[in-house]
Amino acid sequence: MIEFKNVSKTYAGSDRAVVNDLSFTVADGDICVLVGPSGCGKTTSMRMVNRLIEPTNGEILIDGEKNTSMSGTQLRRKIGYAIQQIGLFPHRTIAHNVATVPNLVGWDSDRTARRVDELLDLVGLPPDQYRDRYPAELSGGQQQRVGVARALAADPPIMLMDEPFGAVDPITRDRLQNEFLHIQEDIKKTIVFVTHDIDEAIKMGDKIAILREGGVLAQYDTPENILANPDSDFVSSFVGTDRVLKRLSLVLVRDMDLDPANGSDNLPRISDGLTLKDALSEIIGAGADRGLVVPDGNGGSPSGTLSIDAIKTLSHDAEVTSG
Amino acid sequence: MGSALGATPIAILAFLQSEFATGEQKKVGFIDWEWIRDNFREDIVPAFFQSIYLCAVSLAIAIVISVPLGILAARYRALYPPLTIITGFFYTIPSFSMFTILLFIVGFEVGRTPAIVALVLYSLLVLIRNVVTGLDSVPPETKDAARGMGLTDRQILFRVELPLALPVIVAGMRIAIVTLIGISVIGAYIGAGGLGDLIFDGITRDFPTLYVTGAVLSTLLAIGADLLFVGAERIMSPWARRSRGAT
Repeated sequence: MIEFKNVSKTYAGSDRAVVNDLSFTVADGDICVLVGPSGCGKTTSMRMVNRLIEPTNGEILIDGEKNTSMSGTQLRRKIGYAIQQIGLFPHRTIAHNVATVPNLVGWDSDRTARRVDELLDLVGLPPDQYRDRYPAELSGGQQQRVGVARALAADPPIMLMDEPFGAVDPITRDRLQNEFLHIQEDIKKTIVFVTHDIDEAIKMGDKIAILREGGVLAQYDTPENILANPDSDFVSSFVGTDRVLKRLSLVLVRDMDLDPANGSDNLPRISDGLTLKDALSEIIGAGADRGLVVPDGNGGSPSGTLSIDAIKTLSHDAEVTSG
Repeated sequence: MGSALGATPIAILAFLQSEFATGEQKKVGFIDWEWIRDNFREDIVPAFFQSIYLCAVSLAIAIVISVPLGILAARYRALYPPLTIITGFFYTIPSFSMFTILLFIVGFEVGRTPAIVALVLYSLLVLIRNVVTGLDSVPPETKDAARGMGLTDRQILFRVELPLALPVIVAGMRIAIVTLIGISVIGAYIGAGGLGDLIFDGITRDFPTLYVTGAVLSTLLAIGADLLFVGAERIMSPWARRSRGAT
């Protein structure tokens, strides 16, 4: 658990706060996304967790203990760190890069080697093929996978991720996001995740902290609640006029109550793994008012139909959750 | 060139070694191979090694001074301009003047010491500059990632910054050693010994074999030293070569 308690940061020689009286709590195993326009102090806030930046006022507690209770370097070895520019060591092989923190904390070489292979497998880079390469020999997407593997190396309970999928094309980013969410289901890290992209925040976050210029917390809530009930004009404009559609992207077709599937041969077929947003797009695209829901993957018998009306009803319902 | 004038090579040799011969009559060809063979062990090899010693010691001392100064200048930026101005001043002094100044103003005895001092002074600018440039070239995100993962400042310097700066630092060493070998030849003028002796003697005595030998060997020495550093850099930074290949 990470607790921000009235944390402020003002740089010397400036009278404007970068982060202003920030208080919120990240529960164990949650991804908390800090999102906001540039200059909102989201990266500064994240970097105060592992004391790359020291707050001017307030304190940050990790599992109830002040993060100043040990030296900065000791603290940072216990917290995973992944950044947009990745910052792999160009002069070290992939295996050596991933092994950075295990080497710092003195794991023996067998344990480290096993862990490196395990992590490369986890992020989808076959160890035999990638272990001995240098970073420059990898594509941007592969380097970001290595960056994540390196952050996970010593199995830290907490991870800080600053736009960790920012430096790749949208398709690769989408894939990396999905893979990471999949990994997170198993590893259940407590994560502070920084992005400027509200869509990424909605997709990745269990909770979202929306910050505005000057480092003021505008709203801290689940993605569903932020989309359904933005607290202020700032939040609703930051979230965007398509927030209804964004909410639909949080719900999967298989989580809906479906209508019976009789006499629906001419309807577009919709995989139940799609989000409501994508399903809506398919139905409208086919010129229909409902679609036939079929199980994800090949074949399987239809489980029912989904109508535009059902989606419409749901988007008026402020209590919607992603089930 | 070269009428033999009936003199046997042995006679010429004796003539040369008596060290007062001048003039046309001792020439048996532009290069007197016999002389080279006979004096190889006694004169040429020692001169060659004296030159290597002179340059190696000077470069080693210059590195020991420059690397810490360069690291400091990269950290504390205010140091860099004065360092560049002072070492740049040394670098601009013509080599004959430098040797003379050291002898007459600083008051060194004729010999190796003032030569080494001069050679060290000449190397500082390029070495310090390349240490600073090399450290500056380390990507900031690499340093940030290193710090974020809990490396101490010292670990970041030795495990990240210096290894990544190495190709640029070695490039500085290459320029320095080639410059040193060139200037060290002139050091013979103040008694530093080495291949410069062969060249100066050869010129004084109008004996091409001597100065050509000195010139060729000092050129080979410079080329060899340069290649040595290229090779060392390749061995020490395999990643740089591979990344060049990848892009």
